[in-house]
Amino acid sequence: MHSNTLNTSQIMRQVIYALSVGVFACYYFFGWGVILQIVLAVVTALAIESCFVRLRGLPVKIAISDGSAVVTAVLLAISIPSIAPWWVIVVGVSFAIIFGKQLYGGLGNNPFNPAMLGYAFLLISYPLQMTTWSSDFLTFSASIDMMFNLSSVDTLTGATKLDQVKTQISLGSMVDSLDIYSVSQSWINAGFLLGGLYLLIRKIIFWHVPVAFISGVFITASVLFLINDKIYLPPHLHLMLGATMLGAFFIATDPVSSSTTPNGRLIYGFLIGVLVVIIRVFGGYPDGVAFAVLLMNIAVPLIDSYTQPRVFGK
Amino acid sequence: MSTNSSYKGGIVIPNPYPPKEIGITQASLPSKVVLSLNERMTEKAIPCVEVGDRVLTGQIIALNDDYNSVPIHATISGEVTSIDDQLIPHKSGFKTQCITIESDGKDEWVKGHNSTTDYLKIEPSELIDRIRNAGIVGMGGAGFPTHTKLGLAKNCNTIIVNGTECEPGIMCDDVLMQNYPKEIIRGVEILLHICRADRAVIAVEDDKREALNSLLLYNFNDKITIELIPTKYTSGSEKLLIKTLFNKEIPSGGFAIDEGFVCQNVSTVKAIFDAVIDDKPLVSRIVTVTGSAISKPDNYEVRLGSSIEHIASISIPNNKYSVRMGGMMMGIDVPSIVAPISKISNCIFINYESSDIDPKECIRCGACNQVCPVELLPQQLYWYSKSGNTEKAAEYNLLDCIECGCCSYVCPSHIPLVEYFSFAKALHRKQTEEKNRAEIARGRFEYREFRIERNKLERAEMMNAKKKAIKAKMAKEKSQKDKIAAAMERVKKKKGGSSAQ
Amino acid sequence: MLYSVIIFSLMALFIGLVLGYAAFKFKVDGNPLVDQIDAILPQTQCGQCDYPGCRPYAEAIASGDAQINQCPPGGQEGVDALAELLDVETMFLNEEHGETKPKRVAVVDESVCIGCTLCIQACPVDAFVGASKVMTTVIADECTGCDLCIPVCPVDCIDMVEIMPTMRNFVPDIAEVASVY
Repeated sequence: MHSNTLNTSQIMRQVIYALSVGVFACYYFFGWGVILQIVLAVVTALAIESCFVRLRGLPVKIAISDGSAVVTAVLLAISIPSIAPWWVIVVGVSFAIIFGKQLYGGLGNNPFNPAMLGYAFLLISYPLQMTTWSSDFLTFSASIDMMFNLSSVDTLTGATKLDQVKTQISLGSMVDSLDIYSVSQSWINAGFLLGGLYLLIRKIIFWHVPVAFISGVFITASVLFLINDKIYLPPHLHLMLGATMLGAFFIATDPVSSSTTPNGRLIYGFLIGVLVVIIRVFGGYPDGVAFAVLLMNIAVPLIDSYTQPRVFGK
Repeated sequence: MSTNSSYKGGIVIPNPYPPKEIGITQASLPSKVVLSLNERMTEKAIPCVEVGDRVLTGQIIALNDDYNSVPIHATISGEVTSIDDQLIPHKSGFKTQCITIESDGKDEWVKGHNSTTDYLKIEPSELIDRIRNAGIVGMGGAGFPTHTKLGLAKNCNTIIVNGTECEPGIMCDDVLMQNYPKEIIRGVEILLHICRADRAVIAVEDDKREALNSLLLYNFNDKITIELIPTKYTSGSEKLLIKTLFNKEIPSGGFAIDEGFVCQNVSTVKAIFDAVIDDKPLVSRIVTVTGSAISKPDNYEVRLGSSIEHIASISIPNNKYSVRMGGMMMGIDVPSIVAPISKISNCIFINYESSDIDPKECIRCGACNQVCPVELLPQQLYWYSKSGNTEKAAEYNLLDCIECGCCSYVCPSHIPLVEYFSFAKALHRKQTEEKNRAEIARGRFEYREFRIERNKLERAEMMNAKKKAIKAKMAKEKSQKDKIAAAMERVKKKKGGSSAQ
Repeated sequence: MLYSVIIFSLMALFIGLVLGYAAFKFKVDGNPLVDQIDAILPQTQCGQCDYPGCRPYAEAIASGDAQINQCPPGGQEGVDALAELLDVETMFLNEEHGETKPKRVAVVDESVCIGCTLCIQACPVDAFVGASKVMTTVIADECTGCDLCIPVCPVDCIDMVEIMPTMRNFVPDIAEVASVY
């Protein structure tokens, strides 16, 4: 008496499988850091969630088995620099699970995307650690050293490509004189795009949010580029740099915090895309996906109430 | 007539227990029948026989003067052994008053006097009376009294015969159309005459080709057409069927009757034929028996009031099983296998109990929104129903929900959404009733206060008036006394004066 | 400096005019709060709240003389609804005023009734039909189950009968439906 479509835990598992392509790309370019962060994040998430579910007096095993905490942990671990100290991810994941999920009543009740809430918290609290990215491939032992600050590691660190470009533009350089392509970022974005298409084909996510998000980014970036192509990046670059594809297919599509009606989802995704570009260009942070998503999460009830479909017979 | 103007939503569900071949098995006469006096949507019938009476098959054993009620007939001949409360299949699990008849094995029928083949000469109102006296109600599951529906059809132009049988697993209508096509076509012609309609459409899902062919073979009436519609669950719901056939949406809260459509289930149509042509009351029906605990799904023609056990032979009786009356989507769970079959029991599902997956939290995925055939937002309704906020749920059109179960079927968290909506609807009904009662009580209380005040005022006025009257009277009396005293004074003076001289 | 003084004075004048106009145009007669409170109360008119009827109790709540938890027929749901309306903390129903009983109606035992009409006078919603030395009966649809007729009957012929749910108005238990985890 129930359809054979996937249940909630199976859905979460599929999302994690889909993420693995992009994660592999991260590993390929930047080494073991991202894997270690993910492991640490997942362990922390499950531990914190068990604690809180026990505090709420509910059976722990059932709450953990739905896999949503794991997805939050993985997303956050991918979003932060792979060489961030170990306590950054622990604090971030704890904040995300506690304040972004459990305090609202657990799965399904949170208005904000927990991973993005954790990211925003970390970005504001630890701006240095959150904007120092590695530029090389790091070995396993080197990653451990960097994360746990065991010994100084000889490696190049710096800001992301987007961040660098933005600083240089603000200092007066023209876009066409800069080296704006980043091979690693492009491949990583491509990896997440592939994962996202897999989820679409298996009907685990609906097409509305990713398509609207990417359109929002592309259209806004194009408009700016048409106005002035010297100081604004070309639109296709916005799609290939930063967390665009991750955001389009994995972050904005989080069903709990996004809009529920089909038209609502289109508006929601599109406006996130617009906000991402605006924050990137005019805001104070190099990548705007997290804040754009959080801002639109606030608008979801309003969007939902205005996009109710017409009922049969009315 | 256009077809395939489909509505959004609905799901295509394959039959979970497809049989190799389908047919009708005549069930043997039951040893006893339990007939409920509390039919759906009608007043309770009052028994007109007593314990110990011998009754014949087709004899009326209970009725109610209310026009909308149908009489209850004995479905076998035998002795009335009890008139008491028995368990019948109902969501509430309540018992209700039933008449139990023990069979004498003879199946002696009551004599019919009014069988006729020339129904065209009979007035529609009399035909409607015959349908009432035969005890016919909507056999598709709703149980609405057929004569009431036909009586309300003032400007009917189209008869729709619902042979879609969209709920997966049920085959009773399919097998009826394959085996009794002549009777069905004649029944439709009777309906055309009663409702004075211009045309009739028999709707059949496109996975029932044999039924279609069998009906086509016996249809020689230009006014009747047989339409194939795409197989999809909920296509058999009256309003959705009208949308599919004619691309017309009956307004929410309105009735198809008012738009000129009379919709009847195909089993009801056959019952109408039996009642008008053969003067036979409704005493039996075809029931599908299927499920994981049934080795061979089959259809049984069985007397009403027989227990489910009479026709359901479970493959491994010692294993735990659950009994469901109705389809797998909209059926209700029945607590016991000895519960009786009624006019609206179209199917019995008997499944071995499997461990149910525990429901998880709603993740707001929106899958339910996509399949709702009435285009509601089950997700929003779920949140409001769960917290008992019936007002907000009603704003989101809770009352339009047809409780089809499509949303529960696709929910990845296995939330029993329809049960929340049934609860919310029942709660809303109760709260509305309480509010109305409170309004009446307030009105009466205020009137009583007003009445007491008014009585007080009237009393006070009356007292005042009386006082005035007494005063006036006293004043009059005083003036009278004064006149008398003055006259006496005059007399005294005269006397005194005369005596002084 | 002078400009800022002028601008602020003008703003104050303008806003004052707007507020004055609003106070005049949107003035509401009477106290709508009492009506809103009365709409929540169950209209049993039983007096268990220590006020002679639901409207006097509503007025007392509105003026702050009474607590919101004095109405047993309204039950805990009624207290919660009042708390939400008045935007205050909800409280537990005050048991001193009585306990919440299921809905009942009064039924007169006709063979015992002596026609004294005391019950007719006691009923706050006039649900009795009868007259002096004539048998009295209850209009079941009008009875609110307030119990005020029970103590006054000299022959004790009135019973309070609980209204049982029927198949038509049955409401399933939500706790059975909702069992997440």
